[in-house]
Amino acid sequence: MGKGEIVAGYLAPHPPHLVYGENPPQNEPRSQGGWEPLRWAYERARKTLDELKPDVLLVHSPHWITQQGHHFLGVPHLTGKSVDPIFPNLFRYQFELNVDVELAQACAEEGARLGLTTKMMRNPKFRVDYGTITTLHMMRPQWDIPVVGISANNSPYYLSTREGLEEMDILGRATRAAIEASGRRAVLLASNTLCHYHFHEEPEPPEDMSKEHPENMAGYLWDMRIIDLLRQGRVKETFELLPKFIDEAFAEVKSGAFTWMFSAMGYPELAGELHGYGTVIGTGNAVMEWNLVKAGLARAA
Amino acid sequence: MTIVAALLVPGSPLPQVARDNPPWGALADALEAAGAALAKAAPDTLVIYSTQWLAVLDELWLTRARMQGEHVDDNWHEYGALPYDIRIDTQLTQAIVAATPAVGVRSKGVDYDGFPLDTGTIVASNFLNPDGRAALAVAANNLYHDWQTTEQLGRVAAQQAQALGRRIAVVGVGGLSGSFFRHGIDIATDHIANPQEDAWNRRMLSLLEQGDVTAFRAACPDYAREARVDMGFKHCAFVMGALDWRVGGATVHGYGPLYGAGGAVLEFNLT
Repeated sequence: MGKGEIVAGYLAPHPPHLVYGENPPQNEPRSQGGWEPLRWAYERARKTLDELKPDVLLVHSPHWITQQGHHFLGVPHLTGKSVDPIFPNLFRYQFELNVDVELAQACAEEGARLGLTTKMMRNPKFRVDYGTITTLHMMRPQWDIPVVGISANNSPYYLSTREGLEEMDILGRATRAAIEASGRRAVLLASNTLCHYHFHEEPEPPEDMSKEHPENMAGYLWDMRIIDLLRQGRVKETFELLPKFIDEAFAEVKSGAFTWMFSAMGYPELAGELHGYGTVIGTGNAVMEWNLVKAGLARAA
Repeated sequence: MTIVAALLVPGSPLPQVARDNPPWGALADALEAAGAALAKAAPDTLVIYSTQWLAVLDELWLTRARMQGEHVDDNWHEYGALPYDIRIDTQLTQAIVAATPAVGVRSKGVDYDGFPLDTGTIVASNFLNPDGRAALAVAANNLYHDWQTTEQLGRVAAQQAQALGRRIAVVGVGGLSGSFFRHGIDIATDHIANPQEDAWNRRMLSLLEQGDVTAFRAACPDYAREARVDMGFKHCAFVMGALDWRVGGATVHGYGPLYGAGGAVLEFNLT
């Protein structure tokens, strides 16, 4: 078995509106579309993901919240209906996914070795959260690549942002070590929105795009500043700014996926490719890719 | 009388799924004692506000007539699934949904197959209404609602119950102090994680046991902040809004730790 490696990381936010707008057969509600620029951004990301031919997708979701440790899906096959508790009118999705339990277990063990509390989720009746499902659907609607699902430990909210994100950094390093030992070609998916200020009432119909725009200008400007830095590959500078961005834009990257992903990739000063940006009920969402194969930092399939 | 009982109960699944652990078993016993008291009061409907059902757009209320299934907690999945079988008082709930705009809150009913009930609502229902004799009206915790807005929601619920002639029990589901153990512990030795928060919890419970509701009310904001109380103690705001603070204190059926956080089973003495 050769050494495993991370071949790419994607910022892949999870508004359920994007699944709703697409009208896949797995989702009960029907729409007239909506949020096309973001959905087309995901179409581009799907193409590059396909070219990478990964063995496994790892996703860190802020909507599987855990208090005692970092949890990993640990059941080989999970199926069921995931209804979004916030937007049940938009997302009622029949999911069926295969879990790379061996890699998940290795991530948990590496995390524990580095001092984190980790736990495997082995209950077959577990309902997978809509963040995990939305990100995976938008990136790979065929559902033909095994996944590792990782919870968002609430440490950035319970402790300080800095302390919490330090844990996510350790989680990233553990993830990388586990992937390298596994021999897998892995893609990381950070399921995070940027600016998270949102409207408090939903238009009727929800896909009325005449009502869709950034909730506030300051948040939009913050998003552009962060995206611009990332497009230039100024990753160190981005992470220096991250606490301020989180505070001032109420950014969802606080929940840890973004830090986890970059830590696992070794914080490469690599220009990210922006596939697209758009707002969903006012929040800022960017679909971005860091392709380590194109950058010569990982091998092609 | 419209309101025949009012309770605060913890929403952690641990008393139900692991009651053989003594600290959590004591809270399970307390919940059963509260359930027995509730059965004597014979409400038609339990009006429940659970801190664990989070909403961000509008105020959400369950409007599906019957909900059955099993639920696995996001954090405590190793203890198995929580079964549930609840009936919703759809008439009362629809009346509440229609009435909240008068206090500046837009409400929506939730009537979807597979909707994920929160752990707190399930645990409260299982302990307090084990035979399903009473129907439920269940409100979400909108994260952007403050104490006053949540009080208003409780008040509207009670007013609508009165208009329909319902006998209701109002139940706030949520924890007390919020610091918890983040890492593995010997669960048999579970205790309140922060001694200052433990002191706060005991002080507040004591005020209610003594019937000093005025002092309890005055202390709520400081308590919520300094003891990191679950969701700002809004589950108490909802109950007190429904009661319009007409209580003469409370009986504490139990108080104890839930992986370091505080939990208590309180039955208010109605006046």
